[in-house]
Amino acid sequence: MIAAGFRTLIDALNAAPAQREFITSWIDEDERETVNFGEFRRRARQQAVLLRQYDVAVGDRVVIIMPQGIPAMTVFVGAMMLGAVPTFLAYPNFKVEPAKYRSGLAGVTSNLSACVVVIDEHFPDEMLGHVTLGEAELVRATDAATAEAGVELPDAGTDATSLAFLQHSAGTTGLQKGVALSHEAVLRQLQSLVQALQIDGAADRVYSWLPLYHDMGLIACFMLPLVCHMPVVMQSPLDWVMHPETMLQIISEYRCTLAWLPNFTFQFVPRRTPRERWRQYDLSSARALINCSEPVRAASMDEFYRSFAPIGLKREALQSSYAMAENVFAVTQSGINGRTGPAHLWADGRRFRCEHRVDPVAAETPEAVPLVSSGQLLPGNEVRILSDSGATCSDGQVGEILIRSNCLFDGYYNRPDLTAQAIVDGWYHSGDLGCCLDDELYVIGRKRDLLIIGGENIYPQDIEEIATSHPAIHDGRAVAMGLYNPDLGTEEIVLVAEVEREELLQNGAAIESEMRSQIVAGAGVAVRTIFLKPPKWIVKSTAGKPARAATRDKLLREHPELQQENPDS
Amino acid sequence: MTPEAHQMIEHVVHLVRKPGLAIDENTALVSSGLIDSMALVDLLVKLEDLTHLRIPAGKVQPKDMDTVALMFATAERVGKPRK
Repeated sequence: MIAAGFRTLIDALNAAPAQREFITSWIDEDERETVNFGEFRRRARQQAVLLRQYDVAVGDRVVIIMPQGIPAMTVFVGAMMLGAVPTFLAYPNFKVEPAKYRSGLAGVTSNLSACVVVIDEHFPDEMLGHVTLGEAELVRATDAATAEAGVELPDAGTDATSLAFLQHSAGTTGLQKGVALSHEAVLRQLQSLVQALQIDGAADRVYSWLPLYHDMGLIACFMLPLVCHMPVVMQSPLDWVMHPETMLQIISEYRCTLAWLPNFTFQFVPRRTPRERWRQYDLSSARALINCSEPVRAASMDEFYRSFAPIGLKREALQSSYAMAENVFAVTQSGINGRTGPAHLWADGRRFRCEHRVDPVAAETPEAVPLVSSGQLLPGNEVRILSDSGATCSDGQVGEILIRSNCLFDGYYNRPDLTAQAIVDGWYHSGDLGCCLDDELYVIGRKRDLLIIGGENIYPQDIEEIATSHPAIHDGRAVAMGLYNPDLGTEEIVLVAEVEREELLQNGAAIESEMRSQIVAGAGVAVRTIFLKPPKWIVKSTAGKPARAATRDKLLREHPELQQENPDS
Repeated sequence: MTPEAHQMIEHVVHLVRKPGLAIDENTALVSSGLIDSMALVDLLVKLEDLTHLRIPAGKVQPKDMDTVALMFATAERVGKPRK
């Protein structure tokens, strides 16, 4: 299926065979729903008819705040059928702090000046007062049942350059940045993915637990299947996080072939699925499980492979990609151009820290830093690595990743100020640090997370990974940060980590000392202070990852002695 | 009070970590700020263990988990037998 053959996403949907399976919404073993393309089109048209009753017209913004599932997806496509510009926002769930949710929502709904805000019948009343409607009308999606069937929709006059939808980057600040994407930009991106991954809509099937308001969920697991006429089996992120084992269950049962997953999933699933149950599953159908959206960690990929190779997982199924909403989705993909998977290398630890340079060394070299590539550039994409002084870096030199492509966004919706900061001379400044080597892109971390300790560049993720490999420390629950020491004139590393069980704190001194020696051995740096905290202490983001800034603030509040030394905070 | 509710209260006390604080079946936990919303996944998993039910997370809101009594009522309303 060639995505480029279509003018718009709606043309692509209309071309799908009616009887072909499209979306399966999986709640549990006995609650699931599958719609084929014909039924999906019918429901989406019904939603379009409803939206028209609220005077939604070409170019109007339609904000959708509904639980993950088929109804939300039909509203999204129904809006596009009218030439309107839909966007998904996160549905309030029991993990989100109401105050945080309200403040995020207030900013975004006013920036978009939406025509309608579509919610579902269960939308919590206590949140309703905080949806900034402005001129917008509030629509309950269940009203769709009352929409008349068979009503003809007017020709929206949508063409390839029309805006298709807005997608928001993750996080509170991301909510202020609606990435505006045209039909042609989305179709070009999908065309590249289809080509690179050799997708066959009749043979492939996607598995997803990703939220639809995130680019991985929206593009790879909704728009890609829509355009390729390919089935997708999805579950809600919360259901997955409570029952990570269901990922194995769904891939096995539906013989899924493709999935996009953030790095932590590759550790979370094997660690949270009882070992005695692994053998019930079969991952032999998977041909690409793509590690995406966080820096790719060799240890996570290896753990997943070691765990599930006995149940059919193929090494070449483990792939990686570098993606962002601003480029519609992927910039790179591994396992293409004749290579079998992401490149692995070990970089000289000292040169990596002191010279910001990736210099490959033998794996057993002391302090060597393991790196996994995010693959090679997709067709139509270019990358430049920029040094702090603004020069283009040579191969192996680490700098900020700049992107130019045939599917780059035009700007943040209604935010020319943010757009001007992000796109300079046609290049998008990603804020990510990385390097190119042997035609592979290595993504190393976020620029703003980088710690500069005595002139050495330290990536907090490296320290956190070593810290959480200690058996007493909870998986993924460590945050390393730099705090200024005025006596030394530089930052020093402070690490906060959660123990697995509170009683382990009694043994804190020994754990701390073991961690210190492991960090010195593995990362070549000394940590000034380690704070061991009870379970659940570290502040997590809505995506379930440690929230660096909030955790830092919490630590400084509990330990004001650190605050006094830290003029930046 | 059922033994399960008692066990849940003990679990909540452990999570809250405020010595001397009395918690019963009707103590507001979420709306009073005693429980961080991030702890709710943990409480839901505990609730599944205690009730031997499977609880679809998508059908639960913070207000459904505000007290121990409400948690068990929620489990009864949306929970399904485990296979």
